[in-house]
Amino acid sequence: MKRALLTAVMTVVAAAAVASLASAQVPRMPDGHPDLSGVWWPGRDLQIQPLTASGAQPARPPASGPPAAPRIRPPSFASLYQPWAMEKAKTLGDKDDPSLRCVPVAFGSLNVSLYGLGFVGQIVQTPGFVVMLTETYHSFRLIPTDGRKHREDVLPSFRGDSVGRWEGDTLVVDATNFTDTNWMAAEGVVSFHSDALHIVERYRRVDKNTLEVEATVEDPKVLTGPWKVPTQTLRLAPFDQIMEVGCTGTESAALMEAAAKQNYGKK
Amino acid sequence: MVRRSLAVLGFVVLLGPSAAQAHHSFAAEFDANQPITVQGVITQVRLENPHSWFFLEATDASGKVSKWSFEASTPTSLVRSGVKPGFIKAGDQVTIKGYHARDASQNVGAARELVTADGRAFAVGPTFSPAR
Repeated sequence: MKRALLTAVMTVVAAAAVASLASAQVPRMPDGHPDLSGVWWPGRDLQIQPLTASGAQPARPPASGPPAAPRIRPPSFASLYQPWAMEKAKTLGDKDDPSLRCVPVAFGSLNVSLYGLGFVGQIVQTPGFVVMLTETYHSFRLIPTDGRKHREDVLPSFRGDSVGRWEGDTLVVDATNFTDTNWMAAEGVVSFHSDALHIVERYRRVDKNTLEVEATVEDPKVLTGPWKVPTQTLRLAPFDQIMEVGCTGTESAALMEAAAKQNYGKK
Repeated sequence: MVRRSLAVLGFVVLLGPSAAQAHHSFAAEFDANQPITVQGVITQVRLENPHSWFFLEATDASGKVSKWSFEASTPTSLVRSGVKPGFIKAGDQVTIKGYHARDASQNVGAARELVTADGRAFAVGPTFSPAR
C-alpha cells in the first residue's frame, strides 16, 4: 500500500516536473506572454508512399479476440447543418467549391485557420498584435491583443475580423464579420456558412516545438448547434519563412470540366 | 514507357497534410484507381502557383513518342522536397509515378513521385484524398 502511494506521488511529481520544464522552454515576450512566433505545420511535407490504386487494401492480420470498439468520429461542420442546409448541401459538389475561383476559406481544410487551404502558416507576434500568415493563397489575419473590440467600420470579409486576448498563457482569438460567399474548407468539401459565422480559437504553446489549437464554431443560421473542433496539434517547422502560393490554375479547371463530362462531381 | 495497373475496390483513407494541399478536389480531376508510371524525357518544368507541372515525352518500344503532362504539388512543397528551381531541366531522363486524369483521352496525370536517372526519388504530389 505504502509502495503504491509512493509510486503515485512520484508519478505526479515527475509529471509536474515535465510540465514545468516544458513551460520553461516556451519562448516569451518581454511582457511575459508566450511568444507564438514561428512557422507551424503538421510536422512534415510531402512524403513518398507506394503508388497503388486507392482501392488497394493493406494486408490485415486475421481477426482474433473481441471485436474492436466502433470508431466514433467527431462531428464535422457540415454534419451539424440544419435540415434545410443539409438539403442544400446535397445539391453542391466539387465544382461549386469557391476556392476553385481563388476564394480563401473561412477556416481551414485541416481544421486549422492558420493553414487555410494548405498546411503551413507563420505567426509573427508583436507586443500589440499577433499576425497570422497563411502560405496557400497568401492571406493574413491581424489580431490586436490590446483589448480593443471588433471593428464596426469594416466590410465583411473571407477571413473575418479578429480580436485577441490572453487568458493566462492561452491566446483566445474571436473572429466575426465573415462574408457568406466562401466555404469553411476547400477540396470540394461542401461547407458553406452564413454571415453569422463566429469562430473562437484558443492557442497554447505547450512547449518550444508544439502549439495546440482548440476552436469552437457557431453559425446559428445554418448549424443546429456549436461545432467543437477537435484539438489540433501544430509542430514548429524546421524553417522560419513561409513562401507564396498564389492562385491561378486554368489547367485544373479544364481537367475538372473534362471529368465532369463523365459525370464525376456533377450533382 | 508507360505502365498502368488498375484496381477497383473500397477506398483507403490516406488523409494527411499533403492530401489537403491541393487547392481543389483531387478526385474531381484524377482517378485514384488508375495509378500510372511514365518514363521519359523532360521537355518543360513549370514551378508555378498554385500547382507545378512537368511535361515529358515518352517513347515506346516501336519508337512512337507520346507527350505527357503531370500536375504536381505547390512549388513551395516541391522546393521543400528538394525539387528546387533548375534542379529538373529539359532533357533530363525521369520516371514519374502518379494517377491518370479522369479524362482518359488525355495523357495527363497527377504526379506523386519523381525519380531521377540516378535513382533519387522525390515526393512531388499529394496523397490522394478519398471520395467525399
